[in-house]
Amino acid sequence: MDPQLLVWIVARAMGLAAYIALCIAVLSGIALRTAVLDWLAKNRAMRALHDWTTWLWIPLGSLHVLALLLDKTAQIGLADLVLPFRVEYGSLAIGLGTLSLDLLIVITVTSWLRRRMNDELWRWIHRTSYLMFVLLFVHALLSGTDFNAPLISAVSWSAAGGIALLATSRIVLGRLPQ
Amino acid sequence: MPAWGLKVGSLLTTVLVLAGSYGYAAAHIKNPDAPLQPPVADKPAATAAPAATSTPLPSLVGIRRGNPPRSTAAPAPLLNLTPGVQATALPAITFTHVS
Repeated sequence: MDPQLLVWIVARAMGLAAYIALCIAVLSGIALRTAVLDWLAKNRAMRALHDWTTWLWIPLGSLHVLALLLDKTAQIGLADLVLPFRVEYGSLAIGLGTLSLDLLIVITVTSWLRRRMNDELWRWIHRTSYLMFVLLFVHALLSGTDFNAPLISAVSWSAAGGIALLATSRIVLGRLPQ
Repeated sequence: MPAWGLKVGSLLTTVLVLAGSYGYAAAHIKNPDAPLQPPVADKPAATAAPAATSTPLPSLVGIRRGNPPRSTAAPAPLLNLTPGVQATALPAITFTHVS
């Protein structure tokens, strides 16, 4: 197979898989604070899942980014991974992906440094996960090559819908009764 | 459900999505309805012109009885094939006719 074709396929597959892994991460994170998923598992198990998902989306997201760097058609440079809205085509769609990646890095690094940080500051930084997911979803919607495929669309929208429902209930109602 | 069950479930879900999306992407390499089309996708694929090959012309000097072919100091002129002409592995054409 042509190497350029392979990196293009890998970039798309890794992007979708990373999106699902991040959905699980966000869902389990919200579940910790809403008690909505208490029927599924106790908080301790949910917390373990939330921590574990980091090791799912980091390699998948990294491979998505690496494949796009290697893809000559995508025309994405190293600087575009950090600085948003620099790519000549699809500036908004790709720029939102860059912004969500930047936020994701900050959220992850601060989580690893949580014990050395002010708890309130860490909490506020961690709350930007909601914004990160919105940016990620719009990025996937505007640039995802396979996002309009019926099955992929159904899975992606369902995951995003579930997160939106839980996030709204968390924001409006606080920690829900069990 | 125990923590390991959730972890295995999340891993399986992710692997399933990865395998499914890889299969889908491999089966649908180009999506004309994709929201993002890099600039090169608009241009027709450039067809590389076959490189013109140069082959030495066969000697047109006939072999005559008692007259061996004259040796030429200069090498035979090179024939530049146009892109549409394909070179073959057939033996070179030579004159053997004696009039």
